[in-house]
Amino acid sequence: MKTQTKIENLKYYKIKILISKTVENFLEKKGYLKIDLPVLSPVLIPESYLEVFETAFRYFDKKERLYLTPSPELFLKRLLAYGIGNCYYLGKSFRNSEPNSSLHSFEFTLLEIYKVGVNYFQLADEVLEMLQYIDKKIKTQSSKLKIKFKNINFDKWEKISVAEAFEKYAGILEKELFNRQLFFKKAREKGYRVEGFTYEDVWSQIYTQEIEPHLGGNGYPTLIYNYPKEFAALAKLNSDGKTAQRFEFYINGIELGDCYTELTDYQEQEKRFKEEQEKRKKLKKINHPVDKGFIEALKYGLPPCSGIAIGFDRLAMIFSGASSINDLKLIDIKL
Amino acid sequence: MKTNAGNLKKSEFISYQNQIWQIQKAEFYSPGKGSALMKTKIKNVISNKVIDVTFKSNEEVEIIPIETRELMFLYKDNESLYFMDEKNYEQYSLSKQTVGEMADFLKENSKIYGLIFEDKLLNIRPPLSVVLTIVKTEEAVKGDTVTGAKKEAILETGAKVMVPLFLKTGDKISVNPETGEYTGKVNN
Repeated sequence: MKTQTKIENLKYYKIKILISKTVENFLEKKGYLKIDLPVLSPVLIPESYLEVFETAFRYFDKKERLYLTPSPELFLKRLLAYGIGNCYYLGKSFRNSEPNSSLHSFEFTLLEIYKVGVNYFQLADEVLEMLQYIDKKIKTQSSKLKIKFKNINFDKWEKISVAEAFEKYAGILEKELFNRQLFFKKAREKGYRVEGFTYEDVWSQIYTQEIEPHLGGNGYPTLIYNYPKEFAALAKLNSDGKTAQRFEFYINGIELGDCYTELTDYQEQEKRFKEEQEKRKKLKKINHPVDKGFIEALKYGLPPCSGIAIGFDRLAMIFSGASSINDLKLIDIKL
Repeated sequence: MKTNAGNLKKSEFISYQNQIWQIQKAEFYSPGKGSALMKTKIKNVISNKVIDVTFKSNEEVEIIPIETRELMFLYKDNESLYFMDEKNYEQYSLSKQTVGEMADFLKENSKIYGLIFEDKLLNIRPPLSVVLTIVKTEEAVKGDTVTGAKKEAILETGAKVMVPLFLKTGDKISVNPETGEYTGKVNN
């Protein structure tokens, strides 16, 4: 690992700070409470698609394992169950085994917002309002900041469902998308590798190659919604039984946020946790203890709510006109 | 040698669908759903076709140990181009189809890097530019001062390129052999 001091990034860094203040300002006005949280935790939510950082607290002979939190979700949901109400976290999160690239950093800033009593589309309206607010602030300052920022119109979302996007950009029909056999056949015809791959693997190949590059490229931010239930994670399922109430939003082909109508059923949650834990084991990932208190809190009752996680570094990158999240760092640590 | 796709780096050679490809771009990508991915752009060393391939980052990929060796370009005929390794006088040939339009920009007895695997020349590595002499071009018409105007010039290898009007027969110019574009005048 190398540690680099990048004083030449001061211009972009200052814009990032301005955007961070603007976001906090907006959320405070809207009545959200900022939540400060630990980043070291003895337990975590099992998530199979990421790896965690492991460390330990030592006191003489005693050693207690601790993990850096890959997201603030486990703590925020506990607080929601205790009635904290609308809230957000803007701070560091950590994901191991993700080498730094223009869009990835193993240590990054996450903006996670929860709103009580709304579904994912209602939270989307609030997020759009926040983007408009940042846009306005940046535009009034842009001559002073001397930034070249690609013009995006934040008047509305360009909304497209996952099924519509697969048909429009990859020529895959809805009936093929939700039928494993037909989907694999279609993927093979298109030249994708399917041998030994899961539905999720094949889906991800096509999504990354044929869908994502189009998202958020038509002058508006794109909101792509209703992911197949295989990608439900902690989202509530739709009544069609095939899709989850999850959306992601994109600008210029870059994914910025991931939103769910949160799953409030603790039994379903427990079941998904077990599945994720099994997957982690199979993938030989770090076997961390599961947060049982989280399940207890859900038993107590998570109010109906929606939550969104926004990659703050990427958001600041887009608004500052930089082409890599690394351009916003004053101290850059990388391989 | 096998490696995880997550370790792939630019300019390495890999085996993909039983053919050899060179990595032009490789970027790690974790979509936050499903497994982490390696997005790559790879170029087939024989057909020069470029494709996008998304690998799972923990997928095993075979790295091909390609050797880059300096060769001398000897001559070409209707079908092939012939090269020689000056160190051991070993000769190699490549079909015109493999070399593509670049064949028109290679000067006899010039040096070029070849990609060699299991004693076979797979392709040549295109240089960023080649310097060639203009053997024929029209004199510029006086008063023709349209900015950016170009005319055709025939080079010593027989290739035709579009050049700015001020260039004359006998001038040396540099050309990008992959695109066939004029990139500048070279002073003697």
